[in-house]
Formats: sequence, structure tokens, C-alpha cells
Amino acid sequence: MRRAFPYLLLAPAVLYLLAITLYPGIFAIWQSLYVVRFSGWTWTGLDNYREILTDREFWAALWNTAVIGGIALALQSVIALALAYFAYRDPLVRGWRIVFLAPMLFMPSAVAFIWKLAFNDGRVISDLLMRVGVVDGNVDWLSSIPLARMMLIVADVWQWTPFLFIIFVAALQGQDQEIEEAARLDGASWPAIFWNISLPLMRPVIVVAVTLRGIDITTMFASVYVMTQGTPGGATETMSYFIYRTGFRLFNFGYASAASVLMLALTVILAQTVVKRAFRSGKS
Amino acid sequence: MASIELRNIVKRYGAFTGVRHMSLQIADEEFLVLLGPSGCGKTTTMRMIAGLEEPTEGEVVIGGEVVNDVDARDRDVAMVFQGYALYPNMSVYENIRFPLRMRGTAAGDQDALIRRAADMVELGDYLDRKPAALSGGQRQRAALARAVVRAPQVFLMDEPLSNLDAKLRASMRVQIRHLQRQLKITTVYVTHDQIEALTLADRIVIMDKGAIQQIGTPDEIYSDPANTFVAGFIGSPPMNLIDGTADAGLFRAAGVNVACPDALSGPVTLGIRPEDCAVGGDTLRGTVYGVEPTGDLTYLTVRSGAGTLEVKAAREFRAAIDSAIGIGFDPARLYFFDPEGQRIRGAA
Amino acid sequence: MAARRKRRGESLILRYAILGAWALVCLLPILWFATIAFRPRTEIVTPMPIYWPTFSLDAWHLLISDWPIAKYLRNSVVAVAGSVLIDLVLAIPAAFALSRYEFRGREDIGFYILSTRMMAPAIVAVPIFFLFRDMGLLDTVWALMLVYAAINLIRVTWIIRSYMLDIPKELEDAARTDGAGDLTILREIIVPACLPGIITAAVIATIFAINEFLFTLLIASTERAYTMSVALANFTGGSDGIIYNAIALVSFIAFLPILILVIAIQKHLSRGLTMGAVKG
Repeated sequence: MRRAFPYLLLAPAVLYLLAITLYPGIFAIWQSLYVVRFSGWTWTGLDNYREILTDREFWAALWNTAVIGGIALALQSVIALALAYFAYRDPLVRGWRIVFLAPMLFMPSAVAFIWKLAFNDGRVISDLLMRVGVVDGNVDWLSSIPLARMMLIVADVWQWTPFLFIIFVAALQGQDQEIEEAARLDGASWPAIFWNISLPLMRPVIVVAVTLRGIDITTMFASVYVMTQGTPGGATETMSYFIYRTGFRLFNFGYASAASVLMLALTVILAQTVVKRAFRSGKS
Repeated sequence: MASIELRNIVKRYGAFTGVRHMSLQIADEEFLVLLGPSGCGKTTTMRMIAGLEEPTEGEVVIGGEVVNDVDARDRDVAMVFQGYALYPNMSVYENIRFPLRMRGTAAGDQDALIRRAADMVELGDYLDRKPAALSGGQRQRAALARAVVRAPQVFLMDEPLSNLDAKLRASMRVQIRHLQRQLKITTVYVTHDQIEALTLADRIVIMDKGAIQQIGTPDEIYSDPANTFVAGFIGSPPMNLIDGTADAGLFRAAGVNVACPDALSGPVTLGIRPEDCAVGGDTLRGTVYGVEPTGDLTYLTVRSGAGTLEVKAAREFRAAIDSAIGIGFDPARLYFFDPEGQRIRGAA
Repeated sequence: MAARRKRRGESLILRYAILGAWALVCLLPILWFATIAFRPRTEIVTPMPIYWPTFSLDAWHLLISDWPIAKYLRNSVVAVAGSVLIDLVLAIPAAFALSRYEFRGREDIGFYILSTRMMAPAIVAVPIFFLFRDMGLLDTVWALMLVYAAINLIRVTWIIRSYMLDIPKELEDAARTDGAGDLTILREIIVPACLPGIITAAVIATIFAINEFLFTLLIASTERAYTMSVALANFTGGSDGIIYNAIALVSFIAFLPILILVIAIQKHLSRGLTMGAVKG
């Protein structure tokens, strides 16, 4: 009985998870082999997959997710690191933390509306840029691919930089103060201390935090739904939005399931290679 | 190579005074030990010399220059921390190299200096290792090498040996002293261990509650304590202190009768070191409370009306617990203290 | 030596310039959006932005009269609170098992749990939709509750596990020699000892549940199940376009409790966000 105890403790949670992951996974695989219409399910074998893999929009969605997510992640990582460097020794650090935290506390859909208003409907950003002299007239942010993507990137960076910031500051504050003092006496300036000592020591933390945030970024959905709906020409359609659109706008459920399965496969591969390594080295 | 001077240093933390009105002069090449119990202000004082803390009042002078406004990194002071503070992400070689890099030493000269420093502490074979792969003693020596490599004006050491086991401590003590003599660098060493203080120091500064109790050579501290605190801190076991009254050349306490200088009168405290007490004799009468043979000596504890007395007896001495016993005090080695604990000099 | 006399400390100007700049970046949009909540509709979507707001309680009226804000709030609260409860009930024993017992497959189960965290909601969106449709649970708060519980389960388990790992084994050993059984130990010793962790996990789960968008969008179709997160997307007045002042108002209604909760657990924030990997 003792031996079985841990399994008993885990069972409810694991079963629940299985229900939410395994069952839908199997269902998705199964459904992906059919064409699903309101009239009924028609067997179609691997046709959905053939179609998807040659679907320009599918690959575009993948590419968009990578580009938008990658740029946003890189930006927020650098900003968060810089902010953490300046803030962690500051006497006002608690104040900075609360202020910087605020954007993260809004619902992602709310943040999307804030920036939708600022960029498009309220034209605030364009107006400010005009006053500063950067642009001449009103900017239509949905008109060009880089601009539209920039909206999403700005929204993500604004909201989620604090996530990384909080973690980086905690890590820096947790480092041994004696080591900083020793470096100081050795003649190092604060930037030198950061570059030579604090940053290398922070590496596991940076890896874990950026990986976590990276995983979340690939699921970008709410801001796309609210701000761009994939325009212009599908250039801001992320993977999640692609699945949503094919499934719940075009009601092509079999197709959407196939996309889901492919995305799942990608996730598993990434989990086995990148994330496993990241967490092993990070959690040490 | 520099002298250090502290002029009327005070350090306050809000309502709490960590160091009070401390003035001290340390000569060039001197090995000075700051000794005292936890919280006495010795580490704070040293950190003010380093520049890691700012004095609330007073001046810190290094090499004749007031350095209050000079940042820690510019003071040319090297420090060995209690926890060694080695950079975990760098090898020993890189650790030792770090101060040279920060000070802009020419790249060509660095290697020779690093190896010389490593050889001085006998770590030449360990240069590639990271701190995590070193033993405690090796880390200690790595920290020393890093401090030594740039030949600073001043060495500061904050209880560097307290994390080592006893045997290692003894051998490191000798090495540190040897190193300092070799390099001729003014050194300030903080410890709560009196053995370290007595064996390493040119002069000792005993501190308690933020104030200097006495400054002197180890001999002076030992044989000429300025007050009961110093007398009770130094020596192992520490000096026995007996409260009593002096009257007309006679010191009296419960069970104690001994001649004392005529000048003394009224309540005084008598001090006598355990090694200056002899079994037999009747300056003090009491009962045996404990007998502890340790191989080379036997520690005898005697209870009497005057309290507990520690005696260092010959190694063959044995006695039954609760048996009566008489102890004699060496009359040439009596110390007397007034009711405030201050030493009454010219008396013994 | 004399040449190296330098003022203590580094450039404070640079530090405060950078921190201050980002503080403005954070606060200005929020403050601006707050004014939006108090403006009349006509002032918001205009050819030229109007910066100085005219005060109006338009949004409040709108919210109370035209939209069942109370329902949205209630749905949010019920779905979120319920899901957090489910999670705690499932996660505490699971975390205990993962933190204490050595058993075969521990690493693998642990990793499986962790990797499910990587799954984008979209991957299971279609199947979940069909699942709830067939169970007749579409457009109910129950469905939301189950979904929120599912997406947060891993997080909650891992956070609590991290705190449980900190509890010294001696405590348990002492209890065992005193005669306590496993369940008693869990209930009376472990849980009280990792209470901060449980609270942190609950708060973080709450935040993610309130924020959830995709599943809620798919599952909720009427006010019966709309939560605040998704209700925002529905503040369109048809030909009038998007009703921003109402959106802004609801955004802040959701923001304030989250702010309070986060301030309450700030010390544990880093640890919670990284599921235990980085201790604040």
C-alpha cells in the first residue's frame, strides 16, 4: 500500500491532464483524417495534411509566429536585462517593480485594445509622431506588413517585459554581495562587474525565463484577434490564429485539426530538444 | 606600502552606534589585528578602511591622504573575505587575473604576475580549476593570491580562517604571516579568535561595543590588560576575576586572603591567570568542582565563596570531586581593577 | 593615487534617466486609457486625437444599462474561483508526491507534466470545442471552469512542489516517529508549511484564468458564460463601432483586483512566475 501511495496522490492530477491533453490529441488526430462539414464527416485520409503542407497560408502562419515572436522576445529580453541592471541596486527598487509590473496586470485582450486605440482607431501614435516630425501624415498601421507586425510586437513587449524584469531583478538581488564587493575592491566599475560576473552567473536564469516567455509567445492570439485579424494579407496571422480561422471562421474542422496535430508535433520536438536542455541547465 | 590613520571615526546606523569615536594609527608594514566579540564593530571599522562603508563622522586616511570621498575601487586596498568571495564563473587563473585587468595592467605582464602570486600560496597546479572544484583551504589561498597579485598598499582580512578546520587554520596562520613579512604590506586583520590575534599581530586593538578597549602588542595585552574586559577576553582559560575588598594591605573575599598594595582600599577586583595559580598554598580555599586532564596540562576548576576559579595544574594532577583544596596565587602576578573595571596600575 | 580621486557611486543620472523613461512608457498608456474610461464616446475615435479629456460617466451608464456587466463579473469570478479550487485539490497531493517520493517514472511524469505546459491552447481548441459541445456544456461557466483548471494545473502543481521541496525532511521524520500517517502529515504539516506557496500558486492561477481568451471565446457565446476577458471583444455597438470607454472601464475593473493580489505576493512573484526555478 505504501508503494502505491505516491501514484495515488498523482493519479487525479495526471488523469485530469490526460483528459485534457491525450483525449483531445487523439481526437484531433482522428478528426484530421476527415473532412468535417455540418452535414457530416467524410473520410479523406491524409488529404488534409497534403493540403496543409502545400498551403501557403500555413507556412506563412508559422513564419509570422517565428518572426513576430522572435523580434518581440529579443526586444523584451534586452530591455528587461538593461532595466534590471539599473534597478536592482537602486534604493527605489520596490517602487520601480510595481510601476514596471503594471502593464502585465492587464488582461491581454485589454492590452490589445489599448494599443489598437493608440495605433489605429484613436490615431494617437501617428499624431505624436507627426508632432515630433518623424512622419508627415496619418499612418495606417494596418497598411504595411512591418507596421502591422510592429503593432503586435509593441503590445507584447509593453505587456510582457515586466515578466522578465521581475525574474532578472530577483536573480541579481540573490547574488552574493561579497562577490560584488570583492570585484569593487579589485577595481571594477559597475558595468564591468555586471559584464564579467553578474551576467555570467545569471545565465541559467536568463535561459529559463526567456524559454518560458518564448513558449508563451508562440501562442500569441488575443492581440491578433483584436488588432489585426491577420491583415495585411495574412502577414500577422500567427499559428494560433490560423487554427482558429480555419476551424471557427471557415468551419473547416478537419483541416484545423490537421494544423493542430502538426503544431503539436512541432511542440513535442521542441520540448524534447530545446526546452529539455534549457531546463536541465537552468534548474541544475 | 602605506600607513593608515583613523581620525575620530564614528559609524551610526539610525539610532544604533556601531563604532564610536575611534582613533587609530597604523604604521606602514604593520600587521594590526582588530580583535573582539561579534558585534563589537571590528568588521565595520575595516569596511570603512576599504571604502565599502562610509563613516558617519571622522576621517579615514591612507598613505597620508584623506580618502573618505575616494571610491572603494580606487583606494588600492585588497581584501580577503570570510567567504573568500571568489568569482564562481572564472577559473583560479582568471580570478587572480581580474584585478590586473580592472587596473589596466599590460596584457604581457599579467601572466608572470599571476603565476608568481599563485606560487606564493602554492596553488600553481590549480590555476585551471574553478572555485567549486577547490577545497576550503585552497579557496582561501586563491583569495589570498588574488589579493596579493597587484601589490596593494593595504591588505584587509575579514576572519579569513574562521571557515577552516582547526588544523588548516594553524598552518594557514603561519603562511599568512610569512606572506605579509615577505611582501611588507600594511595589514589589518579582523578576528574574534584570540589565538590568531596573539600569534599574528604586531599590535592588537581589542574592541567591545564599538569602542577600543586597549591597543598594544600581544605581550602587553596579555600581561598588562587595561581593564577587566581585556583581561577576561584574552587567555584561555581567561583570567580569573574575584570581587573583594582591599583594606590596609590585605585583599579579602570569601575564602580568599592575600596581601595587596597598601594604596588600595575599598571594593576592588582581583585578577589572577590560571597559570599563575598553584595547587597547595592557601590564598584561596575551596572545593574541587572539575578536573580535566588534556595531555599536557590538567585544567582544575575550584569552587569557593568567591566563585569559580580556573587553575592550570601539572599534567599528573588528579583530585576527587568535592574534595577540599587550597590554591596559592603568585604574588608577583596579581592584577587589580577598580569597581568600573579599569586597571589599577602601579599596584602589581 | 591622488589622480584617482573620484566621486562615489556611478552615474545616477543615467540610471534614473533610463528607469524613468521606461516608467513613463509603462504609465502613460495606462493613465491615458484611464481617461478614456471617463470620456464620452464621441471624443475617443476622432480624426485628431483629443488629449485633454472632458469628464463623462458615459461608460458607467453604458455598462450598467446596456451590458450585463454584473453577469460578466459573476461569470469571471465563478469560473476563476472554481478552477483555482479544482487545481488546488488536484495539485497539492500531486506536488507532494513529486516533491517527496522516489518512485519509478518520477522524472518522466514530471517531464510530461512540464511539456504539456508548452502546448498552445490552439492545439486543443477544436477538440475541446467538440468535447464540450457533445457534453452539452457549451456556453456554460462549468466548461470554463474545467478549461481554466486544465491550463493552470501544471503551473500550480509545479509552484507548490517548489515550496514543498523547501520543507526539511526532518519535520516529516519527527511526525512519523510521533505516529502520524502520510495523509495526516500532508494535511497538518506540509500544507501549513507551504502556505505561502499555495497562495502564490492560487494568485498566479487566478491571473492566468482571468486573462484566458481563446477557449473562452470559443466556449462562451452568450452572456451566460462571457467573462470580462472576452466580453471586451464584444463591446461593439454595430454601426457605432467599438465602444472604447466601456472597454477601458472593464479593463480597469479587472486590473485592480489583480494589482492587489500581485502586491500581496510580490516577494514570491519571481518564484511563482518561473514555477520555482528562480527564487526571489
